[in-house]
Amino acid sequence: MKPRVGIFGLSGCWGEQIVILNCEDQLLQMVGALEIVDFLAGSSANDEESPLDLALVEGSVGSEREEKAVKRIRERSTLLVACGSCACFGGIAGMDARMSRKALVESVYGGEGSAFDAHPHRPLSDYAKVDYALVGCPIEKDEFVQAVSSLLVGDIPLPPTTPVCHECKMLERDCLLISKGLPCAGPVSAAGCGARCPGFNVPCIGCRGPVVEANLESLREVLIEKGLSDEAIRDKLRTFAAPVIEWHRPEGAA
Amino acid sequence: MTRTIAVNHLARVEGHGGIKVVLDGGTIERLEFDIFEGLRLFEGLVVGRPADEIPAIVSRICAICSVGHVVTALKALENALGVRVSPRARMLRDLSFQGQNIESHALHVFVLALPDVLGHPSVISLAAEAPEVVGMALRLKKLGNSVQEVTGGRAVHPVNHVIGGLGRFPTLDEMLALRRDLEAGVEDCKRAADVLAGIRMPEFVSEPIRVAALVPEDGAFFFGSEMALSTGERIPVADYRSLTNERVVPHSTAKHSAHRGKSYMVGSLARLTLHGDRIGGLARETWERIGLDLPSRNIVANNVAQAIEMIYSVEQALSLVNRLLEEGLEPEEPASFRMRASSGAAATEVPRGTLFHSYTLDAGGKIVAADVITPTAQNLLNAEDQMRATVRDAKGATDDEIRHRLEIVARAYDPCISCSVHVVRA
Repeated sequence: MKPRVGIFGLSGCWGEQIVILNCEDQLLQMVGALEIVDFLAGSSANDEESPLDLALVEGSVGSEREEKAVKRIRERSTLLVACGSCACFGGIAGMDARMSRKALVESVYGGEGSAFDAHPHRPLSDYAKVDYALVGCPIEKDEFVQAVSSLLVGDIPLPPTTPVCHECKMLERDCLLISKGLPCAGPVSAAGCGARCPGFNVPCIGCRGPVVEANLESLREVLIEKGLSDEAIRDKLRTFAAPVIEWHRPEGAA
Repeated sequence: MTRTIAVNHLARVEGHGGIKVVLDGGTIERLEFDIFEGLRLFEGLVVGRPADEIPAIVSRICAICSVGHVVTALKALENALGVRVSPRARMLRDLSFQGQNIESHALHVFVLALPDVLGHPSVISLAAEAPEVVGMALRLKKLGNSVQEVTGGRAVHPVNHVIGGLGRFPTLDEMLALRRDLEAGVEDCKRAADVLAGIRMPEFVSEPIRVAALVPEDGAFFFGSEMALSTGERIPVADYRSLTNERVVPHSTAKHSAHRGKSYMVGSLARLTLHGDRIGGLARETWERIGLDLPSRNIVANNVAQAIEMIYSVEQALSLVNRLLEEGLEPEEPASFRMRASSGAAATEVPRGTLFHSYTLDAGGKIVAADVITPTAQNLLNAEDQMRATVRDAKGATDDEIRHRLEIVARAYDPCISCSVHVVRA
């Protein structure tokens, strides 16, 4: 019997579902190997009730409706994979605002905004057990195909344990942070993208979230030397994963 | 006695939406195209952030139009800061837009909409019956992604587009490989044209469609600085608010747009209706072969217009690559600029229609105010009008048939609901 799979989107840009559809070379094979029973973005004939072997969920949880949805998916599925930085970390919609929640909603929708079912965006793991977190904004095609293959043979894939910085060094690139003084998040961000942005002379913005044991304080010191303010550094490093990156002011700091 | 026809959760679209019609006999009491996407509040979140961080942030509004959001934000910021990009950088941005158009239309026409026409619930079941059609669609989709990868570094959320130009110019090898892929793509477009010529488009609604689109500038079909309307009016992009006139409505987290109290439609159908004379080559031949008469009173024709535009974009991408290869790919630094207190607006034509971005900056280059108006937000009111006409024209149809037609109308707009929700008050 083929594994039964559901693909779901909560609050987000639908980037993960687009990346899945962008696996053009593997798509027909994947569709052949899996039974995709619930995929609202791709099909109008969905089974929304039956148990699943694997649920792929993108997007953050930003409303009570979505809290219920993720809990329901968890009940249905043997495995739940958080796909993309919104699902894993709360993502870009969970970034820090320079105003209160009330002011933020009103800045976009005026007084009518308070009527909507909406709260700050949080990762899936706040509401349900996540078996594997596939990071990225968006996820990488190769990592996705590999992760699904592993999961379906009973293995949990290994998450990246090195920073983007490591990949850049392996490619013997000139360092944007040290040589050009650009604010690069490569030293604290999870590898797996092939250090894409520095390859285009663009500093890493941390879209894959923090690497394990990220040394934020050390990067903060380097960036302060480059002339960035503590606030600018905090904003920059917490853009994609604010709910999981704690930002402590060190003792004695201004 | 009233009855309700509802599509609780619209499938094969990006984002969360539904349709509800309350009928009293044959009379429509209420019709709502509901949007229940979570609030992400981008325009509020970017306040206080430096200008150079903005394109990557607003890119996340929508994956499928991410090149559109990035480049439109850059153009608005460059307008504010008085930055002029080089002609070659502009051509590379134009090229990235052709890639976006190829990918998005191949996905929508063949993966999301075509199953309706051929009586399948999804492309998965369609693939079992017509694998060569789905294979051709996937190759074209991949081609659109390749164009975006060469120009932007990534198909979803491109990284290479920066204020003043590009982080790095594509290499000769990358452009030569892309040329080969595009030449093969032209052959696939011929196959696509054969498929399209054999399909009968559903015709169950007849209603005039008011349309609006950017007037193409300097040969770039998707770039411009003035809006044209089917009423004959012209509106400069800087005055875009007089076109879009947004208001908040209770059943939708997306705001609704109306011009002089009437809805309007943006997208492929609008572009071909207003500026189709700029389209030649295989796209023109296909257009004539299909026999699409414009202006159309059938909103479903937007899917056909998308297919014609997809072919146009493959040919146009090939022509841009050839021009860039002739002019040479010597690397070029992005144009330099100084931050200053300023504001600027810009618009581009993305696959689903006109996209507006506008920003106000303080003296240090931080965002004071931001406004993003997406094509889907503009189309929502027009979609409701066309749905009303669909119900009106459905004499003798069963409720199930009406429900299916309403879904087809919604999908005809290729709504990008995840995109539509972050609209700021005017």
